Amino acid sequence: MTSTSESRADAPPAVLASDVVCQFGRIRALDSLSLSVMPGTVMGVVGPNGAGKTTLINVICGLIRPSRGSVHVLGSDVQRHADAVRARIGVLPQETALYDELTPVQNLRFAAALYDVADADARIDEVLDLVGLSARAGDIVRGFSGGMQRRLAIARALLHDPPLLILDEPTVGVDVEARHQIWAHIRSLRAGGRTVMLTTNYLDEAEALCDRVAILRAGQLVIEDTPAALAARTGRCLEIECWEGKALSQALAQYPGVLRTEIVDFGLNAYLRADTTPEDVLRRARQVCAVEGFRSRSPDLVEVFRSLTGSGAAS
Amino acid sequence: MSAGRVFRASAALEASALVAHRGFVGLTALAAVSFLVLVSLFGLTGAYAPVALIDRDHGPMAKAFVESLGRAHHSFALRNVTEREAQAALGTGRLVGVLTIPEGFSKAIASGHTVPIEIQIDNVNVDMTEDVQRALPAAIVDFGHRQQFPGTTTRMVEHDVQAHDTGYIPYLVVSGLALDAMVIAGVLGAMATAREWERKTVTLLRLSPASRAIVLAGKLSVSAAVAFVALMLAVVVIVAVYGVIPIAPGTTVLVLGACAILFTALGAGLGALLKRTLAAVPFVFGLAMPFYVVSGSLEPIRFDGETIWRVAHLSPVYYAVGALEWAFHGLYVTPEPIYVDLLVLVGLASVAIVVTLGQLATGASR
Repeated sequence: MTSTSESRADAPPAVLASDVVCQFGRIRALDSLSLSVMPGTVMGVVGPNGAGKTTLINVICGLIRPSRGSVHVLGSDVQRHADAVRARIGVLPQETALYDELTPVQNLRFAAALYDVADADARIDEVLDLVGLSARAGDIVRGFSGGMQRRLAIARALLHDPPLLILDEPTVGVDVEARHQIWAHIRSLRAGGRTVMLTTNYLDEAEALCDRVAILRAGQLVIEDTPAALAARTGRCLEIECWEGKALSQALAQYPGVLRTEIVDFGLNAYLRADTTPEDVLRRARQVCAVEGFRSRSPDLVEVFRSLTGSGAAS
Repeated sequence: MSAGRVFRASAALEASALVAHRGFVGLTALAAVSFLVLVSLFGLTGAYAPVALIDRDHGPMAKAFVESLGRAHHSFALRNVTEREAQAALGTGRLVGVLTIPEGFSKAIASGHTVPIEIQIDNVNVDMTEDVQRALPAAIVDFGHRQQFPGTTTRMVEHDVQAHDTGYIPYLVVSGLALDAMVIAGVLGAMATAREWERKTVTLLRLSPASRAIVLAGKLSVSAAVAFVALMLAVVVIVAVYGVIPIAPGTTVLVLGACAILFTALGAGLGALLKRTLAAVPFVFGLAMPFYVVSGSLEPIRFDGETIWRVAHLSPVYYAVGALEWAFHGLYVTPEPIYVDLLVLVGLASVAIVVTLGQLATGASR
C-alpha cells in the first residue's frame, strides 16, 4: 500500500461489490463475489478465460444487472444511478470500440459530445499528447497498429477526466513494446491519483502494475491482497537442481515446512513456510539425492495463482 | 448533458462514416435510378409489340377499320409493310402477327356482306396472343357502331372514378419510387446500426451516459437525408426523362421525405436485429422485389384478389405506393385512406425504433 492509498484509507471505496451473483441460465458467471477498490489504487482482477472478469466489469459499469447483490461505484448505486456512474468512469472495453474508418480526432469529438466534455478540442489535444498520438491525430484509425488503437482507446477513456478508470484486458493482442508503453500510461495515471481497475490474463502485468490483486476462478473470488502478501502466502520458492525430482518431491511432501512442490526441468521447486529455512530443507533433500545447485527466491504471481487455485498457469 | 450537442455529434459521425464509405453510398443511390429503368423496362415490355398490317383493299372502309383498331385497347404497334416483308419478319420472330384486310373489303361491307379478317399470330407468348384476340373484336364492334350497322345497338358510356387517366409507365415509375425508398433508405438505415455491432462501438454507446435515442436520431437523420437526396435524384429523372410531372409537387416532396425517414427507421431495426451489414443489405435487396410486386406497384393490388390483397398488407411498400401514387398522381390505389397508409408506416417505423433501442441497450457480453 502506498502513501497515497494510505492517506485515503478512510475514504469510501471507489468500487464496492457486495455478494454479487450473476446467473445466465445454468451458468453462474459471478458467485457471491464481494470486492472493494480503494481510491487512488490500482486493482488487478486476474483469472483464466471464463473466470468472470468481464462480467464483473460489465456489472460495475451497469451493463449487466446482477441477479443478486449490489455494486456501488464512487458512492453511487450502479443500478439506481447508472447514467451518473457512467459519466464518472472511463472504460477501455476489451474490444477497443473505435470508429476505424475515422480519425482519432473524429472519434474523440464524438466521445466528447457523449460525455459533455467542456473545451473539447483542447482536451482532445491533451489526451492525444498524453498517449503519444498527436502526430497521427488526422490519420484513419484503420491503419493503426493494435497498440496504437489501444492507446487511442485509453485516450478516449480519459477524455472526460474520470476519477475511476476501468481497463478490460488493456494489453491483450499488442506487442511487447506497445505493452510496456501502455503500462507506462497506467503507472502515470496511478501517480496522478486516479483509481484504476484492470482485468488481465497476464499475471506479470498485475504484478507490475497493481497495488492489490483479486484472483477469480469460476466466478468466485479466490483471494484478494497485495502482490507481496499473495507471494508470502505461497511461500518462498527454493529451486533445487537435481536428477531425482520425482523422488525428492515425494520425500519433501512429508516435510512439515514445505507447503507444496513442483517438478520442473532442472529438478524441483519447493515452496517453504515462513518459519522454515532453506538450509533445513536442503539438508533433507541431500539425504534423498545429490543436490547440484539451489536458489531461494520470492514466488511470482504465476506460482501464486497455481498455489491458490491448484491449476495450471493463468495465461 | 446537451441533447443538441449529442445529436449534432452523432450526425457528424454518421456523415463522416458515409463519406468514408462514399463508393458504397454512391452505388446505393445509383440503385434509385436503376430501379426506375428496371420498372419502366418492365412496363415497356410488350407495350409496342409489332403487328404487321397488310391492306389489300385501300378503300374507305378499310381505312375506317384501321382507325377503329387504333381506338381499341391493345399493346401492339401496327406497321404497314409488304406481304413479303411481313412473312419474312413473322418467320424470324420479329412480328407478333400479320393482320390482313382482304381485297374488296370496302365494297363487301357496303353491300352488307360479312367479311373475314385474317390474322396470323406467333403464339409463342399467350399474353400477346390474347392481346390480339381481345383487340380485334373490340375494333370490330367500334367499327360496326361507327358505320351504323344494323344490330349494333350497344355502346360504352364511361364514368371515371379517378379524375384523370394515368398511363402505365407514369404509374410504374411512381411506384418505383416506393421501391427506391425501401432499398436506399433501408440499406442506409441498416448500415447505420449494423456497423455499430461490426465495429463493437455499440459498447461505447452502452457505456456512455448520453441518451441512445438521441445518438440514434442523430445518426439516422443523416441516413434519411442522404436517402432523400437520392430519391429526389430519381424524381428529377422521372420528370426530365420520363416527362411525368407530379400534380402536387410540394405534397410529393413531403411524402417522399416521410418515406425516406420511415424506411430509414425500418432499415435501422433490421440492422440492429441482424447486426451485420453483410446480412442486412442483401436481406433488404432480397425483400425488395417480392414487396414491390405484392404492393400494387404494377396495378392496384385490390384488383388481384382477396388473398394477395391481404398479403400485401404485410409489406410497407404497399402503404408507400398508396401514399406516393396519391401525392404524385392524385390516385387512390389502396382501399384504406391515405392517412391510414401513412399512419401504418409511422407505426412500423416506431416499432423498428423501439427494437433498435432495445438491441442497443441490451446484450453486454459476459
